[in-house]
Amino acid sequence: MNKEYTCIICPNGCEIEAQIAGTTVLSIEGASCTRGRLYVEQELIDPQRNIATSVFVKNENIPLVSVRLTHTIPKNRIFDVMNEIKKITLTAPIVINQVVIKNVLGLNSDVIATKHVCV
Amino acid sequence: MNQVYDVLIIGSGVVGSAVAREFSRYRLTIGVLEKELDVCCETSGRNSGVLHGGFTYKTGSLKALCSVEGNEEFDQVAAELDVPFKRTGKVVVGFTDSDMQSLLKYKAIGEANGVPGLEIIDRQRLEKLDSSAGGEFAMYSPTSGILNPFIYTVALAENAKQNGVEFYFGREVIGITRKNDIYEIITNKDVYKTRWVVNCAGLNSAKISTMLGIEGYTIGGFKGEYFVLDKKVGKFLNMPVYPAPGPTGGFATHATPTVDGNVLIGPDSALVDDFADYGVTSPAMEKLIIDGQKMFKHVKREHFIRNFSGIRPKLINIETGQILDFVLESRTEAPNAINLVGIESPGVTSALPLARRAVALLREKETLLPNEKFNPNRKGILCFAKQSDEVKKELIAKDSNYGEIICRCETVTKAEILQAVHNCLGVETVLGIKNRTRVMMGRCQGGYCETRIAEIIQEELNKQATEVLYGRGGSTMFTGKVRG
Amino acid sequence: MAIINKDVVIIGGGPAGLAAAVQLRKKGIQDIVIIEREKQLGGILRQCIHDGFGLTRFETTLSGPEYSQRFIDLVEEMNIKYITDATVIDLTPEKKVVIVSKKGLLEYQAKAVILTMGCRERTRGAISIPGTRPAGVYNAGVAQSYINLHNTMVGREVIILGSGDIGMIMARRMTLEGARVKAVFEVLPYPSGLPRNIQQCLEDYDIPLYVSHTITKIKGHSRVEGITVSQVDENMKPIPGTEKEYDCDTLILSVGLIPENELSLACGVELDDRTKGAIVDENYQTTVDGVFAAGNVLQVHDVVDFVSLEAEALADSVAEYIKAGTLMYCKINIITDTHISHTIPQKISGEKDLKICMRVKKPFKNCKIDVLQNNIVIKTVTMKKAIPAEMIQIKIKKTDLKSSDIIKVVVA
Repeated sequence: MNKEYTCIICPNGCEIEAQIAGTTVLSIEGASCTRGRLYVEQELIDPQRNIATSVFVKNENIPLVSVRLTHTIPKNRIFDVMNEIKKITLTAPIVINQVVIKNVLGLNSDVIATKHVCV
Repeated sequence: MNQVYDVLIIGSGVVGSAVAREFSRYRLTIGVLEKELDVCCETSGRNSGVLHGGFTYKTGSLKALCSVEGNEEFDQVAAELDVPFKRTGKVVVGFTDSDMQSLLKYKAIGEANGVPGLEIIDRQRLEKLDSSAGGEFAMYSPTSGILNPFIYTVALAENAKQNGVEFYFGREVIGITRKNDIYEIITNKDVYKTRWVVNCAGLNSAKISTMLGIEGYTIGGFKGEYFVLDKKVGKFLNMPVYPAPGPTGGFATHATPTVDGNVLIGPDSALVDDFADYGVTSPAMEKLIIDGQKMFKHVKREHFIRNFSGIRPKLINIETGQILDFVLESRTEAPNAINLVGIESPGVTSALPLARRAVALLREKETLLPNEKFNPNRKGILCFAKQSDEVKKELIAKDSNYGEIICRCETVTKAEILQAVHNCLGVETVLGIKNRTRVMMGRCQGGYCETRIAEIIQEELNKQATEVLYGRGGSTMFTGKVRG
Repeated sequence: MAIINKDVVIIGGGPAGLAAAVQLRKKGIQDIVIIEREKQLGGILRQCIHDGFGLTRFETTLSGPEYSQRFIDLVEEMNIKYITDATVIDLTPEKKVVIVSKKGLLEYQAKAVILTMGCRERTRGAISIPGTRPAGVYNAGVAQSYINLHNTMVGREVIILGSGDIGMIMARRMTLEGARVKAVFEVLPYPSGLPRNIQQCLEDYDIPLYVSHTITKIKGHSRVEGITVSQVDENMKPIPGTEKEYDCDTLILSVGLIPENELSLACGVELDDRTKGAIVDENYQTTVDGVFAAGNVLQVHDVVDFVSLEAEALADSVAEYIKAGTLMYCKINIITDTHISHTIPQKISGEKDLKICMRVKKPFKNCKIDVLQNNIVIKTVTMKKAIPAEMIQIKIKKTDLKSSDIIKVVVA
């Protein structure tokens, strides 16, 4: 059957038309690069997403540090990961790429800081 | 509370605040009960900001007497209270023969009321006075002017406070009883006792009047909507431009410059039931554009910054529908109560003259001793943006908070905001700071500075995020922290 | 007041200003200062904590703060002077820059001024949404600042007006923090943000998007209690009888960005009515000699990587300007047909390769963008899909130009 996808891998947001049978991609049209097909294939078996949010910092001037994931995680685990992130409190100094949670919930992605926070 | 006040004033709009200030010239314990969380939240803050000349009111009426008196003294008042005021003059313009008849009529009334300098002028003269004004001819009123009604009310209230008056915010009066010559004023929070009551409740003045035992007044709420135009076009308008009154009197949509350089277009007029609904409506907005363009040729959609509305508390004769004069009285049904009902336009212009007449009513019954410590002068918050570069440098050197600009659109510094946050009335809302400093009034409408204002309020007043209020009671801005 | 001479003053330390500063230094210009009103450099990227930045430039997906940190690190390494917590309050046509800071009033006499002040959001007042004015109505960028920088949550039951990228990003952000975003309404007949955001911000979280709708009333005395929504016709006017009520405690507005050009106007820079940004030539020079503009203050961008490229191209020109004292006069105007909203630049010299940035006014499928001179097509770009939300760039070589006649860009 025919299904439409908007690829979210890059800002191009290619609108892809895919011929699928069950969870197999038969053919696709509309992708500007090879990642488009990989995206559709992944969407069919186990949609993956990245999230960005904030972690509490015990600091007078800057109360939050922004964080994101190093790898995508299953879409249906987003809120589980959010709950883990909400439990964390950090103290300055914090540097970009500092690992805040290693391998969160065993999903093969770290949570890393995306901002420097000075003492 | 157990204290028995000498005087309690209900309402802290421009009239209540003026009454408080005038009464504070005497040795009296005075309190003001205000239902909102700041002064000037209702009618007093929602109008054209005009100091009226006094030519549209019936000769001998309170409206006429008080507006002419208030107009004459305002240079001195503005100096004492340190409030912005420009005696710009005003033109009332016309296009048709019946407009001319109307202008001649009001010129005659004005002269009978003692308004100086009124003249009928032609298009040529009108162009010279204000080239953006519409109209083929006009009546020119040189004594009219513009002011900031909010700052004026704040100044009156602060001066009253400095002279000993206490202000109680968030107190809505829900009942009044009288026992042993003492009034008990029951509010939604607590009960106050006083020997004298002054009703300055504006839109609710008929309601309070009934609670006092003086029945029979009906307030008709006439809602008027306004647009605020960008300062970019403000520089084209020198003075208020009003249309010649129609057969029912009263002014339709006009164009008014503000003391800060914006332009107000409005108001229209529609009778409403709900005195608490200041919502602005689409149909009114469309009409304001059309009517506004007749008065001021620079009215364009792209210059609109925001809109707002006010509700005029007109005292009406329920049988004839006629609009009545101000009521300022003391009646036997309510001994020691001074009743002000139906104070709509020219309420701002008339505020101090009305206040003095209220004092006179009390003086009829009691000897008033002067308050030796009374100081008529009050200092406002210095406007950094208006100072010369030299003065700016001095200010920053004295206080580095003048070197931190919080509101970029209006160039308002942290020093000014701190003064507003720590105002002597104890007002703690975001709108309270906005109205005292002009923050959030520019093009971005707080897009840049609102987050900082909220932060300053929390820091300076030791508040949690959930305690920060926008304006009214219950106007919580935030649901809590994101983390922690 | 002691006036300090400066070769280049950069107003705004966001992505455009930072990229310009770094490139200027690489081109040998030493005497630079960046003026930034916040306490830190980084501009709007400080609050854009989501990823998607840097895909073309760094070939990796970064969050906003990470992207700007790369440039801030270079600024520090190169020892480029910057002043934070300082606000420019005046800019004259003679390139005098007056700054208010805690240290006092500073005044620079600049040889060149680079305007990189970014943009502001269109407000509720500017679009005159009827109804009351309770607490709980927030512009999307303001809500983003509260949530991501100030650790403050603005509401629980949310309606969003405007399907621009910021609105959609905030729909996701607020949902992640436990709010219930009930719907996004868009007045146009198509979404105004990038399609990938519709997927990853709305569809992923089952947030419905209704196009051709607008909010016709805000309700609530002290705090927002609900809104009225109507369908709109092809002229974007509400259709009577289509009103629906929604309960909510928060209304987020994402109704457009306006380049922040108040200082530019003070300086006499002529603005383009279509972009609300400056009219510039291929050197990004405005109509005031020695005053240049790039980034969101020039035209609203969707992808920050292109902001950096634009600012770097500007810096190359400014470096040339500083060394030569002047730049080539640009008198070839670029105009468009009615399908295209604008081009940057608006005029060129015809003596250099250049890049034309443009946007279409409405979505097109399978279209061609033709660049014409004297009715002859000198360049064509074929596009499967062109939408207003995505800026289109057309490279023109000097050799493509046939004459010094006006250039016209059309959708064929």
